[in-house]
Amino acid sequence: MTGKDLLQALSGGRGVSGYESDLVPLLTKAFEPLVDQVKEDKLGNLVMLRRGSGSEPRKRIMLAAHMDEIGLVVTGYEPGGFLRFSNIGGIDERVLLAQTVVVHGKKDLVGVIGAKPPHIQEPGEQDKSVKIKDLFIDVGLDDETLKELVAIGDMATLAQAPIGLLNDRYAGKALDDRAGVVVMYLCLEILAKLSHTADVYAVATVQEEVGVRGATVSTYGIVPDIGIALDVGHGDIPGVPAYDTLPLGKGPGICIGPQVHPKIYDRLLELAKKWGIPYGIEPATRPGGTDAYAIQITQHGIPTALISLPLRYMHTPVETLEWSDLEAAARLLAMFICSIDSEFVEGLQCF
Amino acid sequence: MQDVIKQLVELYGPTGREDEVAEYITEVMRPLVDQVYADTMGNLIAIKRGPADAKKIMLAAHMDEIGVIITDIDEHGFLRFSNVGGVSAFTLIGQRVRFADGTIGVFGQEKLDEIKDLKYSKMFIDIGATSREEAEARINIGDVAVYHREYTLQGQRVIAKSLDDRIGCAVLIETARRLKESPHEVYFVFTTQEEVGLRGARTAAYSVDPDYGIAVDVTDTGDTPEAHRMAVSLGKGAAIKVKDSSVITHPAVKDLLVNTAKAQGIAYQMEVLERGGTDAGSIHLSRSGVPTGAVSIPARYIHSPSEMVDLGDVDDCVKLLVAVLEAPLI
Repeated sequence: MTGKDLLQALSGGRGVSGYESDLVPLLTKAFEPLVDQVKEDKLGNLVMLRRGSGSEPRKRIMLAAHMDEIGLVVTGYEPGGFLRFSNIGGIDERVLLAQTVVVHGKKDLVGVIGAKPPHIQEPGEQDKSVKIKDLFIDVGLDDETLKELVAIGDMATLAQAPIGLLNDRYAGKALDDRAGVVVMYLCLEILAKLSHTADVYAVATVQEEVGVRGATVSTYGIVPDIGIALDVGHGDIPGVPAYDTLPLGKGPGICIGPQVHPKIYDRLLELAKKWGIPYGIEPATRPGGTDAYAIQITQHGIPTALISLPLRYMHTPVETLEWSDLEAAARLLAMFICSIDSEFVEGLQCF
Repeated sequence: MQDVIKQLVELYGPTGREDEVAEYITEVMRPLVDQVYADTMGNLIAIKRGPADAKKIMLAAHMDEIGVIITDIDEHGFLRFSNVGGVSAFTLIGQRVRFADGTIGVFGQEKLDEIKDLKYSKMFIDIGATSREEAEARINIGDVAVYHREYTLQGQRVIAKSLDDRIGCAVLIETARRLKESPHEVYFVFTTQEEVGLRGARTAAYSVDPDYGIAVDVTDTGDTPEAHRMAVSLGKGAAIKVKDSSVITHPAVKDLLVNTAKAQGIAYQMEVLERGGTDAGSIHLSRSGVPTGAVSIPARYIHSPSEMVDLGDVDDCVKLLVAVLEAPLI
């Protein structure tokens, strides 16, 4: 499977936070040739271990990219065959109107989120965005069949299939953060051709979107010497200052902030320069929001870094990224992993 | 069971000061289990041992209730306060509170232009003292008071303070009473400090290190006039949690609860709680993860002195837990 195939398959895959298990067969099949072990932990994190060539005990590097996506949960029925719903994770309710969705009931049902036509709206209605509590899903079934097939608490995902744009750009849902999972895949492909002494734990984490929960427990189970989270950062768009964004196609953002160990940051920058890998710098003033936050404060503390892939229109069904940024991030990561020796790891203990 | 509920809800047990409740539960639980002990955080852990290779299942209900904490005493003996847990200033108007020593206080408020300006800082507690000295003879800064209300049973419905979550404690006790044989090792954990961030459950889950967790707590309903939309009603059975702000129920645990309820003909409803958390939030993130769910007792007017639950729902919750604990998992 090529990385691009994997990206498209993952973007089209279904896995709301807490319900990621449908993605496991696809990931297992893709990653198995590149790793020594694939294991699901108790909350469903997929832990893929590629052993290093060093003598035991080897240093452990954990890569984390989350496989969950934001989505919807059914909260009730309305007479006429409609479903009420709420959000799982940071859904922007303004973008839900007139979307197609897949409701994961006893079987998958395609549905639409209906909208009131402009002709019959009350005066002033168009000036306001419609709240999620006023939206409903229509799957085209009668009340009775609907209740038989869909239970309250069933999940739904946005239906949008991935789209290839010009310049090797892709638009789709759930690229946050399945693009990060693809970077782990590309990185392992590179590592398969190189020599690295440390063990690499590539973890497709669960439940990031509801509070970095998968990373919290998977890091506890692994206790790595170094943790690197791969997530997405805001791409350049009109109306947002350049200093708040990462331009598409200019490489991944290397994050600096309270959750990042300065010596890992320095090493990443040094390697990017040495190997001519494009990168941006992403300052993060708050520690929260990505798996890096959870990894860093696990057990006795883990030296952590964060790499961000530039992504436009985050948390919409048309999240857009450029392929070259994924490749650059994978190369940078691979070079970093190959550079790790005991001396570096021990140096992380003192600032 | 009604007597246990009455005793539990009338006890004094704000967050961090759950000892009266723990003492009562210890006495009730001792004959029902093999071991009862308290941990450093004040959690009460009651163990019903299982066979050697048994899986450990942790049930959790919190003992603490919301309250108000005294922050200042003025020269006339009026007490200023802040909240412990989610207390609305509006709920406090006209209420009485009780301190650990039995002192009763009533709420008053400063002159306000509009009632919507009401907040704690505009309110005070009056214990009838005429001077700072007289107040300080009974109350210290840092003392915590809870709603002062008696238990009422009307038809099938219980009206009381602190049903959140003493009713969960009562469900655990009754479950222990009815549970004859279990292939599992069952930990009945009565937790502390849930109302300020699921804190007791965090350390309890760490020390118990369970294979599965089930929190038992109250949940909101949408069945009152012009209520927000929520598909949970009083009297329609045990609520099986799908999600709240603190947890997304592990699908395997959710399915186990739903399938058990269906197989046993126990009335149940699915709970999607948009705001609020439970001990399940702490338990499932313990160590390297614990598949966790929650069985909720539908309750109206949560965090008021007049919370209301239906005894039929309470019974359904007990039946569901007993059925789950009696059977092998999955």
